[in-house]
Amino acid sequence: MAVVHDCTNFDEAGVPERASRADPLVRWPEEGVTRVPFQVFSDPAIYAAEQRKIFRGPVWHYLCLETEVSKSGDIRTGWIGETPIIVTRDADGALHAMVNRCAHKGALVCLKDKDNRQSLTCVYHAWNYALDGRLKSVAFQRGIKGRGGMPEDFDLAKHRLQPIRVESFCGIVFGTFSDETPPVEQYLGDRIAAFLRRNMDHPLKVLGTHSQMIHNNWKLYAENVRDSYHATLLHTFYTTFKVNRLDMDGGIVLSDRKWHHISYSKRATLDAAAEYTTANVHSAQYDSQLAAPELLDAWDGFDDQITHSIQTIFPTLVIQLTLNSLAVRFFVPRGVDKTELYWIFLGYETDTPEQERMRVMQANLTGAAGLVALEDGCINSFVQRGTVGSPDHAAFIEMGGKTAESNESSRATEASVRGFWHGYRDIMGFAS
Amino acid sequence: VSALPVEPRTVQPVAADVRDAVEDLLTGYTHVLDDGRVDEWASLFEKDAIYQVTTRENVEAGRPVGIVLCIGRPMMEDRIKALKLANIFESHVFRHVVGRPLIEPAGSDRYRVRSSFVIYRTMFTGRTDVFATGRYDDLITGPGDGFRFAERIAVLDSRVIDTLMVYPI
Repeated sequence: MAVVHDCTNFDEAGVPERASRADPLVRWPEEGVTRVPFQVFSDPAIYAAEQRKIFRGPVWHYLCLETEVSKSGDIRTGWIGETPIIVTRDADGALHAMVNRCAHKGALVCLKDKDNRQSLTCVYHAWNYALDGRLKSVAFQRGIKGRGGMPEDFDLAKHRLQPIRVESFCGIVFGTFSDETPPVEQYLGDRIAAFLRRNMDHPLKVLGTHSQMIHNNWKLYAENVRDSYHATLLHTFYTTFKVNRLDMDGGIVLSDRKWHHISYSKRATLDAAAEYTTANVHSAQYDSQLAAPELLDAWDGFDDQITHSIQTIFPTLVIQLTLNSLAVRFFVPRGVDKTELYWIFLGYETDTPEQERMRVMQANLTGAAGLVALEDGCINSFVQRGTVGSPDHAAFIEMGGKTAESNESSRATEASVRGFWHGYRDIMGFAS
Repeated sequence: VSALPVEPRTVQPVAADVRDAVEDLLTGYTHVLDDGRVDEWASLFEKDAIYQVTTRENVEAGRPVGIVLCIGRPMMEDRIKALKLANIFESHVFRHVVGRPLIEPAGSDRYRVRSSFVIYRTMFTGRTDVFATGRYDDLITGPGDGFRFAERIAVLDSRVIDTLMVYPI
């Protein structure tokens, strides 16, 4: 049996057509950022391209908190996307980051979340590295009894753990694979950097950590955390218990490239401020039908009336300050439809015991069992499961308009979600 | 409030009737939850009792924040009211399997109790997974008008919660 291929037809049917488009991976609807093709949540090829263009691209990534590597010899492991990484502080106090992958065979070098050592040794063949990632020694480099060993031209200086550019800002250690990423403060922009300073530029104390495995693509959580539209619709704890938050609607601030955002709400009753100042700590500041309203005991940490805020830093970092509950959240893609969401609850070293107690109680509001927001653990998997069979359909995102601009008068908008897709399309080369 | 790790030690024997009462409380607790009788849950605690779910990692680091913390029965009742009226999640049930407890007197009518647990979660889809493994570190009072928890700290072996935690464990 003979099969005849008509080469001309074959080419016209597929290859040149795909290759001639701006990007062959996805056909983005022409409406732009108000539509998101569902394909981007479940296509392994897009997931792989994200690892290259975003996670190994010109982007700063959360690595760890400085307080986790405060002493010389401290070691913290983590991830940038799917790449395992190591953060260290050397004997001179300098921070370093590198890929957790031995220069020999590629095995993990550090096998713990955290450690304290003078150097790093791969357990496989005992290759030994300085805390800055330079290769110091190779076992049996000159062989045993004159036999074996590395070739004459083997040069220790030509091998090392792959370095990652590192920069610390407001107690957060950021890392990037790219030399082109601008300095962190410039990457964030003025408004985003200033707000990060407000919340994080204090001596930080870790009060507790845990993580959540959520069964959805990482971008669904990135959207969800920018989505101020869903807050009072999906999360009904405050309304169920008639918690009078005395808050007026706040606003949305987007960074210049629309990658990062701040969503905030303010307390409306300014005339109560004097009373709050004298009391300093207010029991039951929030009227409610809770049997134990002391769960919401709070104090005014700042003088700008902002009581609730969520700040995102593209791609996978979130800082929340809801009442006094300060937390860093970061999420790590664990496959195209799985994401690990980390929670680090924080206080300041300067907190009084009473303030720390209030932060501890308010930690009940968020996290894997958060009274106010535990729904976010499952809602994104509903979208994942709803969309997996419909790659050619798209989400409709027009609440609050069709553009992605700051809006400091209303949070009934999906502007920050459109902002995320604006930034995503830009860096992925999916913008038309 | 922090759950300090309990040091391994020689356990003094307690009277058989105390052991029976403590084991009945532990077993009754698991059936209250596994039967879905969440309204009865708080009644197994003293009025000012502490209930916490945390992780081994937090306990070892001496960190006060875990995953759930209730101080007093009213706070527990708020959690139950929240899960019945406010929280949204996919229907599921738990099955607790609890090992034989170590029991040690801790003052008059108070006992330090430690037990291991495995909790399976079965979703409405029929899928069953191990949801959590760990230990309960309890302070139990009795006999009085019945044995109750003055403190129940569930220390999870893993730092990772699958999806979310809404029911007490």
